[in-house]
Amino acid sequence: MKTQTYSLNLGPQHPSTHGVFRIILELDGETVVKATPVPGYLHRGIEKLAEARTYTQVIPYTDRMDYLAGMLMNWGYVQAVEKLMGIEVPERAEYIRVIVGELSRIASHMIATGAYGGDIGALTAFTYTFRDREYCIDLLEMVSGSRMTFSYFRVGGVADDLPGEFYPAARKFLADLPGMCDEYDGLITGNEIFQARTKHVGVITPEMGINYSLSGPTLRGSGVNYDLRKVRPYSVYDRLNFEVPLGKNGDCFDRFRIRIEEMRQCGKIIQQALDQIPEGSIQAKVPKVIKPPVGDAYAEVESSKGVYGCYLVSDGSPKPYRVHFRRPSFINLGYLAKLCEGWKIADVIAILGSIDIVLGEVDC
Amino acid sequence: MFGQGLIKGLQITWGRLLDKKHTVKYPYEKIEMFPRFHGRFELDVEKCIACGLCANACPNKVIEMEKEKVDKKQFLTKYVMRIEYCLFCGLCVESCNKDALKFTNVLDMNQYRRSWVRLSLVDRPAPEAAEEAPKEETPAKTVKVEAAAGQAPVKEG
Ligand code: SF4
Ligand code: SF4
Repeated sequence: MKTQTYSLNLGPQHPSTHGVFRIILELDGETVVKATPVPGYLHRGIEKLAEARTYTQVIPYTDRMDYLAGMLMNWGYVQAVEKLMGIEVPERAEYIRVIVGELSRIASHMIATGAYGGDIGALTAFTYTFRDREYCIDLLEMVSGSRMTFSYFRVGGVADDLPGEFYPAARKFLADLPGMCDEYDGLITGNEIFQARTKHVGVITPEMGINYSLSGPTLRGSGVNYDLRKVRPYSVYDRLNFEVPLGKNGDCFDRFRIRIEEMRQCGKIIQQALDQIPEGSIQAKVPKVIKPPVGDAYAEVESSKGVYGCYLVSDGSPKPYRVHFRRPSFINLGYLAKLCEGWKIADVIAILGSIDIVLGEVDC
Repeated sequence: MFGQGLIKGLQITWGRLLDKKHTVKYPYEKIEMFPRFHGRFELDVEKCIACGLCANACPNKVIEMEKEKVDKKQFLTKYVMRIEYCLFCGLCVESCNKDALKFTNVLDMNQYRRSWVRLSLVDRPAPEAAEEAPKEETPAKTVKVEAAAGQAPVKEG
């Protein structure tokens, strides 16, 4: 019998694509023959907008890329400006950055975990991770005043010191965190149906991961030990003791599992940072009008999705000449088309969810 | 044994059945926001010197102000925030040296119409020249300012 392939539009208005993302699937029955991702529905031109704003005014826009981990987005950008101007950030500010950055990573991974459970059909997990995420976001709200788009980092430091009520609340959250992770493991990771859906599905080999420039949990799921916080420590990460969780098979299950492991490690990092945090200033001396010298700089941080970089070109004026963001979600998506080939429609959802994209960042 | 994971999952959900509630019945119940919460703006007209630093700090040109020179001093006649464009980043509040512009923790600013969203913090005429405007008139003006500030249809959300 002769059959024909047909094409199916997945998205852009589909909850499983985690935002306004579209994949055109060419299907043979239920099997994917070809997948064509179509990003761009959320493009706001942040890089261009930045050119018309002063260096400080760009900070709120970086929040709106990966809005699930806004602190980390701020971080990469301010680090690039600091590098360009040669600013030394006070130690206390660095510790505060680590604390809020890791809290942001936890919040982001909680969404990734819960949403992935929802993708596979375990919607209960979603309510559990969202419940806990609220407590995590509470901490960030205490510090920055906002729940998602924090704009808390400043060139040379942070906007405000940690408030007094933050310390006991953070310690309480950290004490609860391992229990939360156990709950997710019990609810999702150990679930046989979930495992059947995700194990050995969408395998990324370490070579392919590296060749396609993947980063973050997507790469580490394949067992490649590459975490910027370890391989090229920035800020005060060299003083903090933590492990990098790695996967073995590079399948959806491993990518999912190491996010929960990472949350546990984040807890450890914050605990140490809270113990070590010195007294002192939270803001380096920077001129009122930030005017970096002519030149360019590139800085990277490990965001929750992977390596997030910011490239800045200055022409000596108070506004950046060019800003470019290396957005890990976007680059991790580069491999999606290949990865989906040969799998069934339902697996496409499992694969896409395991990469953990956020469309604000993909489209920028 | 196959199914062990499923049973464990069920144990967790059943264990949570009689847990304390984590949610409140908004809008009948409200959570106290943290002191630093970025809510609706508040302007202390007495402190404001109409320097315009806040408007300059804003990345999105949210703040529109008009001023007039009275008695060699700047007199703020209009201070309107186009809240629909506001990022709630706090750069304006941070830039104010006089501590005049502040966040409150009022969080519901939703309106039924787009045109109502605009937040008019000051809208008043400038006083006449100094000789004609006696000092007592200032409190009266302030009252008027407060009335203007409450122009939003839903005053307290
Ligand atoms: S919070 Fe930010 S966007 Fe809003 S008015 Fe102030 S500076 Fe402008
Ligand atoms: S609110 Fe503050 S910064 Fe803005 S005009 Fe008044 S005094 Fe100046």
